[in-house]
Amino acid sequence: MTKHDSDTIAAIHRELHSHLPSEPALRAKALESLLVEKGMIDPAAVDAWVGAYSEDIGPKNGARIVARCWIDPDLKQRMLDDAARAVKELGYEQSHLIAVENTPDVHNLVVCTLCSCYPTALLGMPPNWYKMAAYRSRAVRDPLGVLAEFGVALDEQVEIRVWDSTAELRYIVIPQRPAGTDGWDEAALASLVTRNAMIGTERDLSARAAADT
Amino acid sequence: MDGIHDLGGRQGFGEIDVDESDEQFHEPWEARVRGIVNAMSGAADWNLDWFRHCRELLDPADYLSRPYFDQWVQTYCAMLVNSEVATVEELASGKSVAPVSGMPAPMRAAAVKSARPGAKRYDREIDVGPAYSVNDSVRAKSHGIPGHTRLPAYVRGHAGQILRHHGAHVFPDANALGEKRFEHLYTVGFPSSELWAEAQRQNATVYLNLWESYLEPL
Repeated sequence: MTKHDSDTIAAIHRELHSHLPSEPALRAKALESLLVEKGMIDPAAVDAWVGAYSEDIGPKNGARIVARCWIDPDLKQRMLDDAARAVKELGYEQSHLIAVENTPDVHNLVVCTLCSCYPTALLGMPPNWYKMAAYRSRAVRDPLGVLAEFGVALDEQVEIRVWDSTAELRYIVIPQRPAGTDGWDEAALASLVTRNAMIGTERDLSARAAADT
Repeated sequence: MDGIHDLGGRQGFGEIDVDESDEQFHEPWEARVRGIVNAMSGAADWNLDWFRHCRELLDPADYLSRPYFDQWVQTYCAMLVNSEVATVEELASGKSVAPVSGMPAPMRAAAVKSARPGAKRYDREIDVGPAYSVNDSVRAKSHGIPGHTRLPAYVRGHAGQILRHHGAHVFPDANALGEKRFEHLYTVGFPSSELWAEAQRQNATVYLNLWESYLEPL
């Protein structure tokens, strides 16, 4: 039976701090071994998840959704109206999802100041910086400074919308379609869409990026 | 709780490491931990908000300095000890001394392909109607909340406007205590100039998703 008591957990953390193995990899190994012995994990299922993250789960899913939105304005509108339903049409499940669109006059930036909430089903694992104190503390207060560090300079008139993911609603930014991509197919367009552009720490995607890679 | 995790607007953390590679995991053990957490069975009274609260209760120095997935390891270790599923000694050695009973069977490898973690829903229809409508002006409550909460300190006492209503979602403050309650959830926009004396632009807004009891009418 779980005792939902903050002081008890804090005391257990202090005890664990001084008793667990000294290296993170060793702590993880001990946890896994113990859970296997207790019958609480099937190591083959852990292997299967590791495989899924390296093959199926990642930002290429979000990139494909963005590319489809660029090709199909009706789909983009459905994304903005009800993103969870729209991504389901494309075979993805993110039950509580909001899509926000960058335009010449609007820039969107996504953060989770309290932990690291992220649309994992569409973008995979968040980058480390998304989980660290510098980004989480500054995105809501110093968005221009944050963007500058990522090499993004916004024109004076551009409105900034910062989205703090404080509930089970996840966000995906639909970046602007780069110039010079008329007639490109979904795969070619998707190859231009970066993870950072879907978080909002990149703004101007370039048609040249695909040609260079 | 006014813990170290509530980072919005805190200062002094320096520059962002923007040159990170696109790899989802930087060390093999990190991928392993992600897989363990997805695949493990757990006590019936665990939930996401309880996990979040247990992570918030890490020693503040550990919270800021330990690798992210290492924090997950320690958080699950603390939950296992607290729920009397494992002892500190067992977690330190990786060797089980006593069997556990009453745990659901863990996920099998064959189930991973069709698992859809993003499909879980946190909303529910409730009998009570929403207290606020789109465009209403509201103020975030000014007092802190001792346990788990999703009302960040940086908006407390500040005025904002309702942008969207999302129906009723599970209320984190109660969920972290093992109590399922549903409350109306809203996206509330706060002008940056309302939040920060040094706000950089007039046309900047910070949006948060806040539960009804975090708000009062303005």
